[in-house]
Amino acid sequence: MDAPGTDDISRKFQRDLNAGLVALVLLGVLAETDEDLYGYDIAKRLQRVRDGEALFKEGTIYPVLRSLAASGWLSSRIVPSYSGPPRRYYRITDEGRAVLARWRSVWRDTRDFVDQFTGPTSPETSATDPTP
Amino acid sequence: MTADTTPRSIDDYLAQLRRALEGADRAMIQDALSDAEEHLRAECAARPGESEEAVLRAIAGSYGSPEDVAAAYRETERTVQAAFAPTRPAVAGASAAAAASPPGALRRFFSIWGDARSWTSLVFMLLSLVTGIFYFTVVVTGVSLSLGLAILIIGVPFFVAFIGFTRVLALVEGRLIEGLTGERMPRRATPTAPGGLLARIGAMLRATRTWTTLVYQLLMLPLGTVYFTVAITLAALGLGLLGGSIVGLLQALGFEVVDGWHTSVDGTPLTGLEALGVGLASLVIGALLLTAMLHLARLVGRIHARIAKQLLVAD
Repeated sequence: MDAPGTDDISRKFQRDLNAGLVALVLLGVLAETDEDLYGYDIAKRLQRVRDGEALFKEGTIYPVLRSLAASGWLSSRIVPSYSGPPRRYYRITDEGRAVLARWRSVWRDTRDFVDQFTGPTSPETSATDPTP
Repeated sequence: MTADTTPRSIDDYLAQLRRALEGADRAMIQDALSDAEEHLRAECAARPGESEEAVLRAIAGSYGSPEDVAAAYRETERTVQAAFAPTRPAVAGASAAAAASPPGALRRFFSIWGDARSWTSLVFMLLSLVTGIFYFTVVVTGVSLSLGLAILIIGVPFFVAFIGFTRVLALVEGRLIEGLTGERMPRRATPTAPGGLLARIGAMLRATRTWTTLVYQLLMLPLGTVYFTVAITLAALGLGLLGGSIVGLLQALGFEVVDGWHTSVDGTPLTGLEALGVGLASLVIGALLLTAMLHLARLVGRIHARIAKQLLVAD
């Protein structure tokens, strides 16, 4: 895992892929729940799915949350916290749900298209398995 | 590859993140730092009994290095903001109209009437007298009471509360400036340093921003007075000329708008032709003045936002 070289290349590829996927996944996480979630909460939910290892660095979801909120797809409110600085809680808006629905179909089309060339269930590609 | 610079404390991490973001928009840096602090403190709270260093080491892989996080903010600010920004209908409409029109100088000069930012900047100029008086009063009262109470025990908590209040005011002013001029300003308050009261006071006194915030709030009184006076004078003059032109033009057509209202020189009413000339002239001058006022408001909004960013946003 720590060996440089090929792994660095995979990491860079993963980063490039994530550029748009983080926003899709965050909308998906927030659409699934009725609660308001704050950044740390969301990060932990992402980790749980992959047994403690999310595809994205936790620190990289925050700027995306901010920009989703700036576009009106998430609403946010600030709640004081005992453990440190106030927390910003997020909730998906109706507009956000509409965007998510459109993005979902874009993602499915993309995935199906890519699978046609790379093989859907080849064991070597299991690392990029996009289980939500 | 960053094994030797692994952060040992949250403050250490934040300092490295700040370095990694050097040169980026100051408001974005402030947002990034408060996001990271929120997460890291939540992580520490979730692992009671472990030192900050142990927690940071444990999450080094999952949270991302300061460089990773900094790169994510730069990337998001660059791509996502750029892609989302034009969806604001008012701004998009104005710029589309400007792009579609022929590049005539006169046309460009008058296109400012469709620019929402110039109107909101004008609102800011008018509002700044009120906010300026308020900030000035708060700072002068706070500083004198802090000095006066310094010898008493109550002076210390009073000073802390006062500085805290000026920070909240600075955040509100930032939101106002971003809303009215479009300059990006911090969206969250800077977290106060952890630790006891004395440590916090020390950090407050050392922070340059504490003092520049006070300077800004004092400066807002003279600036606000000038902004307000200039805006009101130009608006009144321009509107007065437009009103006068209506009277003159109607008089030229043979109407008397209100009994006894007419254009005159030294008490002698103007003839129809003269009234027509005066009416047209004041129409043109009034329209030019009001347009110039909008350009000035836009300029003042830009310059003031830059001043505010220098003084209100942490380095």
